[in-house]
Amino acid sequence: MSEQRFATTLLLPGGLWLLLLFALPLGLVLAASVGSTDDIGNTIYGWHPENYKQAFDPLFLPVLLRSVGFALATVVLCMLIGYPVAYYIARYGGRWKHMLIALVVLPFFVNYLVRTYAWVALLADEGLVNGAITNVGIRDEGIRFLNTSFAVVGGLVYGYLAFMILPIYAAIDRMDEALVEAGKDLYGTPWNTFRHVTWPATFQGVLAGSVLVFLPAVGDFVSAQLLGGPGTYMIGNLIQQQFLGADNWPFGAALTAILMAFLSIWMVLYLRSAARASREAAL
Amino acid sequence: MLRDVDDFLAGRIGRRELLRGGAGLALGAGLAGCGLGDSGSGSEKETEKVVKAKVDGDLVYFNWSEYLDPALIKKFEKQHGVKVRQSNFDSMSSMMAKLRSGNRYDVIFPDQSYAPRLIAANQLLKIDHDQLKNYDKVWDFFHDPKYDPGAEHTVPYGLYATGVIWNEDKIGGMAGSWDDLFREDAKGKIFVLDDYQEAIGMANLRNGLDLSTVDPDEIDKSKQMLIDQKPLLRGYSTDDIQNLINGNAWIHHGWNGDVVNLRNQVKNPESYRFEKAKEGIPVGTDTIAIPANAEHPGTALLFLDFMLDPENASQNVAYFGYPMAVKGAEDAFAKIAEEDPAVQITLDDVTNGQQYAYLTGEDKALWDRTWTEVKAA
Repeated sequence: MSEQRFATTLLLPGGLWLLLLFALPLGLVLAASVGSTDDIGNTIYGWHPENYKQAFDPLFLPVLLRSVGFALATVVLCMLIGYPVAYYIARYGGRWKHMLIALVVLPFFVNYLVRTYAWVALLADEGLVNGAITNVGIRDEGIRFLNTSFAVVGGLVYGYLAFMILPIYAAIDRMDEALVEAGKDLYGTPWNTFRHVTWPATFQGVLAGSVLVFLPAVGDFVSAQLLGGPGTYMIGNLIQQQFLGADNWPFGAALTAILMAFLSIWMVLYLRSAARASREAAL
Repeated sequence: MLRDVDDFLAGRIGRRELLRGGAGLALGAGLAGCGLGDSGSGSEKETEKVVKAKVDGDLVYFNWSEYLDPALIKKFEKQHGVKVRQSNFDSMSSMMAKLRSGNRYDVIFPDQSYAPRLIAANQLLKIDHDQLKNYDKVWDFFHDPKYDPGAEHTVPYGLYATGVIWNEDKIGGMAGSWDDLFREDAKGKIFVLDDYQEAIGMANLRNGLDLSTVDPDEIDKSKQMLIDQKPLLRGYSTDDIQNLINGNAWIHHGWNGDVVNLRNQVKNPESYRFEKAKEGIPVGTDTIAIPANAEHPGTALLFLDFMLDPENASQNVAYFGYPMAVKGAEDAFAKIAEEDPAVQITLDDVTNGQQYAYLTGEDKALWDRTWTEVKAA
């Protein structure tokens, strides 16, 4: 077998995977997005582009803006929490390095939904946390954590933090420590060294982490559904309601297609930035 | 789904059931899309299979959570030597969505506004009444209910009314009106049922409109009322029992029997009250039915018969707090209603009360769209 053919064979499993579990379902979503429904909510395929018109109703704009806002807040918080964690593990983790990274990944062994649901029990008005607060006497009244925007963003940060830590860790770990020493040799303060040496050298990791957090966070519905209130409705909830509540798969599919197109723009921007960075690195 | 996880956490269902039951939701809409096309309306012939009431496998059971005495499930398992594989839905719509995406169940519990939709789509098995030893125990009225002429596809389950449940320890001075769900002094402690029919229906009644109105102007008025109410709300949820127990809710739009069920679970049962709104309340009947594509319809028939047994029905009524339309189970509910007349619901209520109409086409779409707009606002 020639090397070329061998390489092609290697592509087969992944290619099949993408075809069956990505391209095909995506095709079904697109087909459903121009369909209609019968009386019990079954999808009837056809040509009904008005689903898309309905999706651009100004009514839904605040939902999209809210989703993007929550996702951006999540990215910023994940960065603020994730960068120091990644930095510590990469630079000072020593022989515990792999163990610490494993600990970061460990919560992923439990389903996101189940983990989020656990917060409901913990943070309820008369739940464990508020019980502790009132019993210890920190406050007479418990604090309302749940069903707020803060709880939703908190849930998103908790859910996607590892996606930020891992790429930043990889970037810091890859960075040559001698660069930092060189910065210090040139009388750079720790802050200046970080700003002019470490940050630019690890920026691609931060960017990758931001994209990995932002994309799923925009479309998330679990956090808003379990931890949110009547005013935290996100685009993911809107889509989910079309599928499970409103018996309207075509409209849900149209919303899905629009969301994917919107997210693709960000993906393309990221890919171009990454490509430019690697070109510059090669120079 | 939330109920699935809830049950999973409570150990009522195994992880595998959770994953299977929740797959559509947990993996997102994309995966649910794979079910496209493999359900749909069935043929009438499929609903007329000849089925004998005898064990033909484990029972795949799909119901609201906390809506049947778990001890009866155990009893049924023991009596027939089968397992009952349970999963739960949290609204009629999500039950429909699971059916639509190709999940197969042996028994489901549609209400009187969804049973006709399933029947029209040939999704329910015709029930041979000769196979049910206890069929003559069903109240005569339900031998020919409007929602299922001739009771060909369903047997009645709980009779319910929708009203307001509240925690008297936290708040008093209730007005016996839907206005109680709009109280400024309970801001952030009020829940409305996460159910398009119940929410829009409540607003219709408060506006003095017909419960099931499909007049676009009237519906618009109710939509505005629900949107204006949002700043007062803690959320939309059908989990009235747990929301009240964990203190998130002081006032909850909810079902009459749930307060009885709730009282069974707390140390201060007398604090939880139920009221019917003077503007009118929706009443209804839940039913038990066998999907046409059930894998174990024989076991399902045995289960229907089991639930119509007066002794079992009485035990169930005492657990879940709703009357069942079974001769011989009246006393069990009379006892509950004697302790708290507010939860009373009679056959008279069900025949003369306001019931959600079976909406189709544009009318159904109007209600769905309205609910989406309320949620998104």
